[in-house]
Amino acid sequence: MTIKLTRRAGLLGIAFAALMAPQAAWTQDSIKIGAPLSLSGKFVSYGAAAKRGIEMAVDVYGGKVAGKPIEVQFRDTQSDAQAAVTSFTQLLSQERVNYLIGPIATPMAMAGVPAWLRAKALWIVPGATTPLLEEKAGKEPMFFHTFPYAYHYHASLAKALREKLGPGKTLAIVYSDDAYGREHLPYAQKYFTTAGFKIVAEELVRAGATDLNPVFAKIRRAKPDVLLGLVQTTDGITLTKQAYVQRLGVPYMIGTAYPQLKQWQDATGEAQEGWVGVTTYIPGLEAAADPKYPVLFPATKDWIAAFTKRYNRQPEFVDVGGYVSTMMLLLAIENAKVDDKEKVAAELKKLDVKTMIGRGHFGPTDGGTLNQAFADVVVHQRVKNQDAIIFPPEFATTKALEQANYPK
Amino acid sequence: MASLIVQVIVDGLLLGGVYTLMAVGLSLAFGVTRIINFAHGEMVTYGAYVAFFAFVGLNLDPLLSLPVVAVLGAIAGHLIFRLSLEKILDDVGINQVLLTFGIGLVLQNLAVIMWTGDERATTPPYALESWLVSTDIIVAKGRLIAFGIAVLFIVSLLAWLRWSELGRATRAVSQNRSAAALVGINVRGIYALSFALSSAFGAATGAIMSFLLPITPFMGFPILVKAFAIIILGGMDSIIGTVIGAFFLAICETAIGYFVPNGIGWAEGVAFFLLVMVLIARPTGILGKAGREA
Repeated sequence: MTIKLTRRAGLLGIAFAALMAPQAAWTQDSIKIGAPLSLSGKFVSYGAAAKRGIEMAVDVYGGKVAGKPIEVQFRDTQSDAQAAVTSFTQLLSQERVNYLIGPIATPMAMAGVPAWLRAKALWIVPGATTPLLEEKAGKEPMFFHTFPYAYHYHASLAKALREKLGPGKTLAIVYSDDAYGREHLPYAQKYFTTAGFKIVAEELVRAGATDLNPVFAKIRRAKPDVLLGLVQTTDGITLTKQAYVQRLGVPYMIGTAYPQLKQWQDATGEAQEGWVGVTTYIPGLEAAADPKYPVLFPATKDWIAAFTKRYNRQPEFVDVGGYVSTMMLLLAIENAKVDDKEKVAAELKKLDVKTMIGRGHFGPTDGGTLNQAFADVVVHQRVKNQDAIIFPPEFATTKALEQANYPK
Repeated sequence: MASLIVQVIVDGLLLGGVYTLMAVGLSLAFGVTRIINFAHGEMVTYGAYVAFFAFVGLNLDPLLSLPVVAVLGAIAGHLIFRLSLEKILDDVGINQVLLTFGIGLVLQNLAVIMWTGDERATTPPYALESWLVSTDIIVAKGRLIAFGIAVLFIVSLLAWLRWSELGRATRAVSQNRSAAALVGINVRGIYALSFALSSAFGAATGAIMSFLLPITPFMGFPILVKAFAIIILGGMDSIIGTVIGAFFLAICETAIGYFVPNGIGWAEGVAFFLLVMVLIARPTGILGKAGREA
């Protein structure tokens, strides 16, 4: 009986091993990339855009890298920090991925840091502007940031406005009481003051506030030349519309990332006229194809055509960022010729490509991130429902900085 | 200074109109059925989306689509009541809370799946227009329209409750459902009607919000929280109390916003502190009455 049982167990074991072998072999023979993204919840537009960019990059690359199929494992962080922790843990501990791309939203990226620090997969973050991320992860050699930090926004904005407006101008800042507003505020203060602006008002607003009129009354009394709104998109819509309705009268209105977003543009109507914003990609930004990889990094207009054909919509900055980041990772894996995160990281650091959003090459930041790419920020302005690029000079499509529009 | 005070009063009154819209439907449903409808915010959200798509797809002004939105809201509310809430009317209150909370979550996530998390807004001309009364006093047309509609809603609701047969029956059920049943009133029918009306008000409020605030699948929850605060403050079974609560909260928030440094950041916290103070002094709210049969 014992012998029979042992034999049966042995046979079962062999059968089990036989069944599992192809699965194990297949798993080992694919290159697994984890993508923790907000595919639902309040940051879904970012997550969906990054997913589009990643999927397009994998398809353009041909679905295989270093001779192995590419397997992207998307996990929905649900725009929730706790769910983001679970996503990171699953990808790193259970799936044991060597490479991560995402998330985009700052709170989700921050939530993933502790889990990532335990496993230290090669992590590309094509979003998250908070310098806190730089503080927690920037010095790690396996961390690659492919989006500007908050201070990059304000360095470029202050420089562009100083160039256009000249010295002796005054600035009012409206900032939200959430992490976004509070994190951006010190950098805005630093760079605008350094550029010669005098800050005459700083007004806190509650994220999601219904009525900003009291803030406008105080700003109107301060008579600034420039208003800088350090808020996220939903509050950016409220700020823009109410500033217009209340005839705020400040000549130059500046946002952060939201003036580039179609949803902000559609929601604000004529109130958007004259608003200035920052981004990494904007329609009208023309770049030539990379000479070495013209199929992977085509000329901007060709890439937009391919994207539009595939998704029946215009790309936004996260679409482009997701595509470029993924493509650089795939190239690095190809060059490393092996599924080894250390070797791939070394190849990624060596890469120097021309992409639709500028030079794709990693270098250190002043803040301590070892591997930063795409820190160049484009400053643009909404003029007659179009985007005019005003900075950097090599991409500028206009020299003039228009004043904001108000009802007569 | 005088013009500043006038502006504070104007802003406070106009914001009070917006808050009244947010709370009136919730107050009606609770006053009659004693069910706290945690899905009320989603009625506002869906009303806003219907108004938005009517604006974008049919070029229909939100004020013109408002009656249709309200009717659709009433149908949705009636269906939700008949298909779910009616079955647990006699259960403990926590089951009703969990059910409406669950319905709200399902509706919210459905909205994300159908329309993504993108922010939207309708932009009829009056949403971006204002009257310059003097150099310091500005009246936003969109807010004034919302105020006017809030007045219309409240007057219509009070008139219906006072002078119509069904309205009187609704008041009777609100005051004592056992006695109302004894005199032959169809209590469940009145519940369904109140829920439908409440949802109609919620959806119509969404149509107004579509040009005042950004539309997202998540816009309902903050509105729900504000509406709860208002009806608790005013008295949970009083429409007039709700109106008083809405204007009290709005004027407090506006005044704090104007006169306290970084006041907009503090406004909600201070206003809710005042709410707690009022409730300590008068636990039933401003016009609420204790001891009614549940």
